[in-house]
Amino acid sequence: MLNTQPKRRSLLSRILNPKYIMVYSTIAVFLIIYIVGAIAYGGKGFTTLRTFLLLFSDNAYIGISAVGMTMVLITGGIDLSVAAVASLTGMFIAYGNSILGIDPFICIAFSIVVGVGLGLLMGATIHYLNVPPFITTLTGMFLARGVCSLISRESIAITNEAIDALAGWKITFYHLVDGQWEKIKPVATINFSVLLFLAMIVIGAIIMQKTRFGRNVYAIGGNEQSAKLMGLPVARTKVLVYGFNGLCSVLAGVAYVLYVKSGWNLALQGGELDVISATVIGGTLLTGGVGYMFGTLFGVLLKGTIPALITFNGTLSSWWGKIATGALLLLFILLQRAVVSGSERKKKV
Amino acid sequence: MSELLEMRGIEIQFPGVKALDGVDFTLRAGEVHALLGENGAGKSTLIKCLTGVNKMDAGEIRLEGKPIRPTSPQAAIEMGISTVFQEINLCPNLTVAENIFVGRQPMKHHQINWKEINRRANELMERFNVHIDVTRPLSYYSTAIQQMVSIARAVDIDAKVLILDEPTSSLDENEVKQLFAVMRSLKEQGIGIIFITHFLDQVFEMSDRLTILRNGHLVGVYDIHEITKLELVTEMIGKDMNEIFNLKRATVAEDAPIMLKAEHLGAPGKVDDVSLHIKKGEMIGFAGLLGSGRTETAEMIFCVARPTKGTVEMNGEQLKARNPLDSINHKMAFCPEDRKRDGIIGDLSIRENIILAMQAKRGFLHPISRKEQGEIADKYIKMLSIATPDAEKKIGELSGGNQQKVILARWMATQPDLLILDEPTRGIDVGAKAEIQRLMLEMCNNGVSVIFISSELEEVIRCSNRILIMRDGKKAGELGGEFGTNTQSEILKIIAGEGASA
Repeated sequence: MLNTQPKRRSLLSRILNPKYIMVYSTIAVFLIIYIVGAIAYGGKGFTTLRTFLLLFSDNAYIGISAVGMTMVLITGGIDLSVAAVASLTGMFIAYGNSILGIDPFICIAFSIVVGVGLGLLMGATIHYLNVPPFITTLTGMFLARGVCSLISRESIAITNEAIDALAGWKITFYHLVDGQWEKIKPVATINFSVLLFLAMIVIGAIIMQKTRFGRNVYAIGGNEQSAKLMGLPVARTKVLVYGFNGLCSVLAGVAYVLYVKSGWNLALQGGELDVISATVIGGTLLTGGVGYMFGTLFGVLLKGTIPALITFNGTLSSWWGKIATGALLLLFILLQRAVVSGSERKKKV
Repeated sequence: MSELLEMRGIEIQFPGVKALDGVDFTLRAGEVHALLGENGAGKSTLIKCLTGVNKMDAGEIRLEGKPIRPTSPQAAIEMGISTVFQEINLCPNLTVAENIFVGRQPMKHHQINWKEINRRANELMERFNVHIDVTRPLSYYSTAIQQMVSIARAVDIDAKVLILDEPTSSLDENEVKQLFAVMRSLKEQGIGIIFITHFLDQVFEMSDRLTILRNGHLVGVYDIHEITKLELVTEMIGKDMNEIFNLKRATVAEDAPIMLKAEHLGAPGKVDDVSLHIKKGEMIGFAGLLGSGRTETAEMIFCVARPTKGTVEMNGEQLKARNPLDSINHKMAFCPEDRKRDGIIGDLSIRENIILAMQAKRGFLHPISRKEQGEIADKYIKMLSIATPDAEKKIGELSGGNQQKVILARWMATQPDLLILDEPTRGIDVGAKAEIQRLMLEMCNNGVSVIFISSELEEVIRCSNRILIMRDGKKAGELGGEFGTNTQSEILKIIAGEGASA
């Protein structure tokens, strides 16, 4: 039977399109955990806007990197070098400014050149030399980490006015008391990193949904061979995706520097796994082809909620955070499998 | 009449073989032209030449009178030559609409105009009389619909020439009808369609003309009314008389016990109700065109593919836990069709390749000692006269014939009662072919039953005691007893569906 589908699409059926199921699951789990947290620790201030916005500012660097990672995972690849590149950015800024006395923004520009360059190089290696992304980016990770340690094996503090100013800059929300902003106890703040995080999510979403480049990324993840035969610029797209991810890694590094105000060669050890797990929890398929920036946003928030809950509990060991993250990751990977095999089984027509 | 597409004197040389030798092909606007030939005849090479995948060494291509030389699939598409392959070359994760327009999406204010994409996709599919929600992911729909979507994409890119490579192989009868309706409407629009298929009925239903290739040569171009099915099959398979073999068929005693009894084997879309039995020491040949269910039946007997219906008895014992290992434990052996992909492990040595099945049968808890492995390998290298300095050479470095011998050795080492050989002589030279056939017959005489599948009718007739003929997934006939000079034409008749079932 060929003619069983109603062709009119109601708004509801468009919203309930099965392709969004992973994003909806992420949002649902986030809401459940948040509500559980609200019930348990509402009295301690878990539900305040301040706490909620802390989720953003504490995880901004992970989120910025996750934007690029989402794109990489959608192509069906992976990038293990992100945390090392972010850490390298920190080293460039710290060493360049504190030791060599270079303007920090020149250091950032230099980091961008290096990060994007490394990304493009890895992308080219993956595509043209057919080296698996895992291996290529593992190499990139060691390379970046190695250069970090080459620069300095000790933590270098950053004491630059511009950096301090940027780190300290924030949009502040106050209580409105009798028509007057009560400036003593701010309700919540949004800093530069959070804005950068949100901006990157929006930029990422626009690229993925509104440009041919973004759609090519999805096509490659769906079936690279097909994409080639459909005449899509597979090589260029793949290389650029890794380049863009390099940019995201550097920006994540900048956000991290603003957060800790130092450069350290061992900073963000294992951070790439945080980024990858946040992305996967956000509904991006590790096998490629499926993923949304909006989902990634919630993936980062969901992953960030767990340590927040543990902090609020106060008695639990922080290692429970790892266990909970692991459990969440497992849940979402199983869910992905179920969705994928489910859609294979019930082909309607 | 002016030709839409003209290919003249196409020659393509691959290392060692001439894949195409002076082939001509023409296509008119608004015609469906079938391209026929057995596997390896050069059909796909010709298509790849036309779509810029393979470079031609000589010859010229003209499209609407202008010489062209496509250098990549993309270039060919831009010239108006689109291909829809047997495997769906679309992205399952994208929506139907997006699959049609990806890479050339209509834009509005530098943004993808999704509304326009969905509207136009919907229009296109409506035109094909396919009423679906184009905003669903492609993977949501059946293969037939996906096929239509590929065609929609191909046609929407202003195609003048549409190549359909085995488009019907995964479609059921209704879906084929639907596809044919679409093909007819494209024909009316003046698109020239090159139609490649193994289903001869479909050739006669849809085509206006047909071109037959064999071994890289052009055999003939016919109007569909000029040729009968039987002539067509004979032309496709051809006769190769210069091979000199001197082989004697195995002798099977009247009262030999039945080794394998398979009844009513079937799986949807593959094989329908095939029954057969084989006596000890007997060789049964499977004849039929590719895709007729030959390989599928063999795979069901060995349980590489699990049949949904029917039973298999081996030595009088019904097989229950059906998987390949179980089959091996019941003394079956199976040399698959695609030697490179399913047979050899190219980076392992001859020795390792030989002991594989034997080790699998014994289980990993009972490893075969290195010394024993060496002895076994040496024994078979000598017995099958495998041309190699020693057993440690990588199998990937051997010639096709010698690789096939190693695979034979692998299964001989398990001392099987039933040996299934799927195209064991494909792509190897005549001498090695004769040797392999001799070995097969020798095994029969030692009491092993053999199922021999081959596209070359002559060798099937030469070696088999009985021949089972498959057509469209069904057993179309069975020949036994003495084979005479007219056996081949009898088989061809059955393959073509003109003869009565024996």
